[in-house]
Amino acid sequence: MVPSASPAVEVRGLCKQFRVARREAGLGAALRALVRREYTQVDAVKQLSFVLGAGERVGFLGPNGAGKTTTLKMLSGLLYPSSGELRVMGHVPAERRSEFLRTISLVMGQKRQLSWDLPAVDTFEFNRVVFDIDAGDYRRRLDELVSLLAVGEVMRRPVRQLSLGERMKCELVAALLHAPQILFLDEPTIGMDVAMQLSIREFVRRYNVEHGATVILTSHYMEDVAALCPRILVIDGGQLRFDGSIEALTRRIRPLRRTSVGADEYPPAEQLAELGHVVERGAGRLVLDVEPERVPAVVQVLLALPGARELVVQDAPLEEVMRELFRREAGAERGA
Amino acid sequence: MWRLGIAEAMAYRAALLIWILTTTFPLVSLALWHSLAAAGPIGDYGRADFIAYFVAAFLIRQMTASWVVWDLASQIGSGDLSVLLMRPVHPLLHHLMSNLAALPVRLLLAAPLGVIVLIFAGELALEPGLHLLLAPVAVVLAWLLNLSVQICVACLAFWLTSSTYLFELWLGLYMVLSGYAVPTSLFPAGLAAIVRYLPFHAALGFPVELTIGRLSGPELATGFALQLLWLAVFGALALWLWRRGLRAYGAVGA
Repeated sequence: MVPSASPAVEVRGLCKQFRVARREAGLGAALRALVRREYTQVDAVKQLSFVLGAGERVGFLGPNGAGKTTTLKMLSGLLYPSSGELRVMGHVPAERRSEFLRTISLVMGQKRQLSWDLPAVDTFEFNRVVFDIDAGDYRRRLDELVSLLAVGEVMRRPVRQLSLGERMKCELVAALLHAPQILFLDEPTIGMDVAMQLSIREFVRRYNVEHGATVILTSHYMEDVAALCPRILVIDGGQLRFDGSIEALTRRIRPLRRTSVGADEYPPAEQLAELGHVVERGAGRLVLDVEPERVPAVVQVLLALPGARELVVQDAPLEEVMRELFRREAGAERGA
Repeated sequence: MWRLGIAEAMAYRAALLIWILTTTFPLVSLALWHSLAAAGPIGDYGRADFIAYFVAAFLIRQMTASWVVWDLASQIGSGDLSVLLMRPVHPLLHHLMSNLAALPVRLLLAAPLGVIVLIFAGELALEPGLHLLLAPVAVVLAWLLNLSVQICVACLAFWLTSSTYLFELWLGLYMVLSGYAVPTSLFPAGLAAIVRYLPFHAALGFPVELTIGRLSGPELATGFALQLLWLAVFGALALWLWRRGLRAYGAVGA
């Protein structure tokens, strides 16, 4: 993926505050709230800055309430930023100009644009008119999307009768008919089984490669992000904590390489402690976290074990990396 | 553009029919006033006038009513508005179109009811004339006025949790003051004079009286002027609330 000269997304000093009504529990508090409501200011996004190139696949990672979705909604023009600069394909999203809306698409795992009681094809046809898509282009794109996602039969049934996965596939068709240059995906695979996650993921990757569209994704499933996005932005507490590849993030947070081997017999504990940190030992499997520069030496020792088999060296799982990252941030904030 | 709206209206035709049956209130009023007028005209309304008035009121309400206030307020509250905001068509235009799209189906279901009543009641006082050409204009203005009021109330959902209760208040006043239950010209003189200047009358009573040919030249001019005035007021307010509301929109859920 070679990002082109003009960036797809430019964000500088972006902030979003929400005013949230709050009151204590109980009847007295409820009555008081009638007369005078109390509000607290919540900083959902604080001073966010980044640039995304055209054609990139970027994942937003962060815990619940980190500001990922708020950021995505500001990028797609749904929310007005409280302050800061924001350009998407040269447009100010919140102005929601027609030309801007024609170049983007937003797919939300928990919202649907398909009409509930009508077949999905009706919504496709509706989008053809609304987005003013040329009839030939429409036919061609629909054929391509329908065959890629295998929804030829599904799209003729009322949407309410579809499974979650089938519905999401139809949502993707509806979202891509106008050939957007930027695709925002907010939790697209939420609640889906692994097979369906894989097929959606594969489709998005393929779409990005073949059409050069910029893809921006938020997902709770780290696997989605890890498999799909060469670049990740970690957002926590409304701020950017990391920007780079998953490998780079893993190296920074968990530099140790996870090394595992099966053997008939393991060395004694004190000897293992010299090799690295023992994560798991037993059931025919030994798992160690090893300093990167010591990996070659440790591998030699492990392969020399009696009955050594299935030696694997890998990065720590992303889930653990993220957990550790957020724990550190929380700790750092408490310390500050 | 409104084919999806028609398709949706078709998909919900049973619900639509039931809704139409619940709006047959003017036909009940008709039966009441019709029998009261048996002893002689009430005000300047004879039996035939009551028939024409309430059948027209029923049909014009069918043509000018909408559900935008509930649809839009719930979309704002649930965050479903996000879907509309992502389309290069103004969300308010979308609501306008889908309202319009339901019209043919609605009329198809309501018109026979009106015809049946006319057949059974007999003696219809409807003379052809200029007013029949102006009636559609007044109906369109009444429709737009109703939509604007509904959009105003729906937009309050950007800040309030239950804005549609306010519309119930409007609807309550509308039932009494628009001429839906009683022609406003039968109100006590002083009250009638006031009531006929209010937006409720512009939204129903005026197009109804116009259609059945009860208004003279100056009354027509005043009626149209009032319709335009109230439409300008509520239209401007609706657009202002919409723009302010979008800034406050939280796009909740997902």
